[in-house]
Amino acid sequence: MFIEVLNGIFSIIVFPGLVFLVALGFFTQYLVRKFSARYQKRMGPSYVGPAGILQPLYDFLKLLRVKEIVVSRYAMPRVAELFLVIGIGSIVSSVIFLPLSLFNVASVFDVLIFFYLSSVMPLFMLILASLSMPSPYTNIGVSRLLSLVTLAEPVYFACLVIPVYLATRGKGVFMSMSSAYATVVELWVKPETIVVMILVFIAFIISIQVKAMYPPFNIPEAEQEIIAGFETEFTGPLLALAKLLHDLDLVVALIAGTYILLGGPAPFRHLSIEGIILVVVKYLLLLFIVVTIKNIMGRYRIEQALHTIFKYGVIPVIVAAIMSSLI
Amino acid sequence: MKTTLILDPAGALTITTFAMALSILVVFILYYALKSRRVRTSTLYLSGEPENVVSTPTPSIASMYWGFMKRFAKSLYRILVEEVHTGSLHDWARFISSWLAILIILAIIIFIVFVLMG
Repeated sequence: MFIEVLNGIFSIIVFPGLVFLVALGFFTQYLVRKFSARYQKRMGPSYVGPAGILQPLYDFLKLLRVKEIVVSRYAMPRVAELFLVIGIGSIVSSVIFLPLSLFNVASVFDVLIFFYLSSVMPLFMLILASLSMPSPYTNIGVSRLLSLVTLAEPVYFACLVIPVYLATRGKGVFMSMSSAYATVVELWVKPETIVVMILVFIAFIISIQVKAMYPPFNIPEAEQEIIAGFETEFTGPLLALAKLLHDLDLVVALIAGTYILLGGPAPFRHLSIEGIILVVVKYLLLLFIVVTIKNIMGRYRIEQALHTIFKYGVIPVIVAAIMSSLI
Repeated sequence: MKTTLILDPAGALTITTFAMALSILVVFILYYALKSRRVRTSTLYLSGEPENVVSTPTPSIASMYWGFMKRFAKSLYRILVEEVHTGSLHDWARFISSWLAILIILAIIIFIVFVLMG
């Protein structure tokens, strides 16, 4: 029992909890910046650490240790900090449902708890933190963000639920993340489920793009147009926390996609060299697709974005849900 | 060493709550240990505009009315312009209520006269 508790605390704080997620978040941010720079014929981060790999960590510490924090007269920075910390905490706690966790919790319908912790809570905490630092630009950014997530969050939810449902039907713990990943690979080879998986994959990429607020869905922050949108009033440590929350949100969504959509290490074992390499390759593949879309597209207007999410996100998951219920 | 716990949803939620509390506590301690403490309060950033440009946080009722009438109710707007000239229901209500006030005063006078005359 004591060993299990220690294992649980280690999982939450070190691997794959806080320390691992933050490190992976910085590495992912580095890759996003480096890939984007290559697309735009720039060098990207190059000076801090080998090949500039420590630049995100340096930026984070620089914001955290800024000489003085500037807050506007009407702001509530303590409240904003609290919301952002709760958001980060909820993302970190969601990792116990991921199959790569050393302390893995599985339960019937745990995919719902995972979705709530890793997607709904961080989003609402980010919105509440933004509203704690009021400004006209913040209000516009938050209203745009809410418009987008009204469509994108149900799409992301369906993208998790449909493969988990198909993979755990009659096998293992029903609707459990850790039971699903081992059999998801089979869904990609069966002729009756491959169409469902392709539709879900397309919708997943769209929903990730919206969650990350990357072009063409970078409407909530819309740099230049509405200053920095929902994060206009974030400075210093608050901005560092908000950026960390954003990175962790993206990282956990990509890990969830790697396991639930692409099967994680399957067909290899989890702790084998081949399995680890396969997980890394699948993660990088998803990230590369997201960064490529980010760099080849310009910003949509809000109604164009909603139309695109509906067309390539909502309709595919509705069709996939109907097909999966008929299979 | 991997530990896998298969629980009922209530058990999973309990463990998740503890995990969340622990991670929030750790993030909070690390954040407050590392963050800068000097705070300077500034005015609201409004691209160089003074704060009174946002003194009304929401658009006025009149702006919302005109926005609705001109964008979504064009035919109704046309009718109103023909009938009430300004196209504002508010003007129409004010015009009618002025007549209504005269009617009320008239009614009160008639009532008093009627009572006095027996």
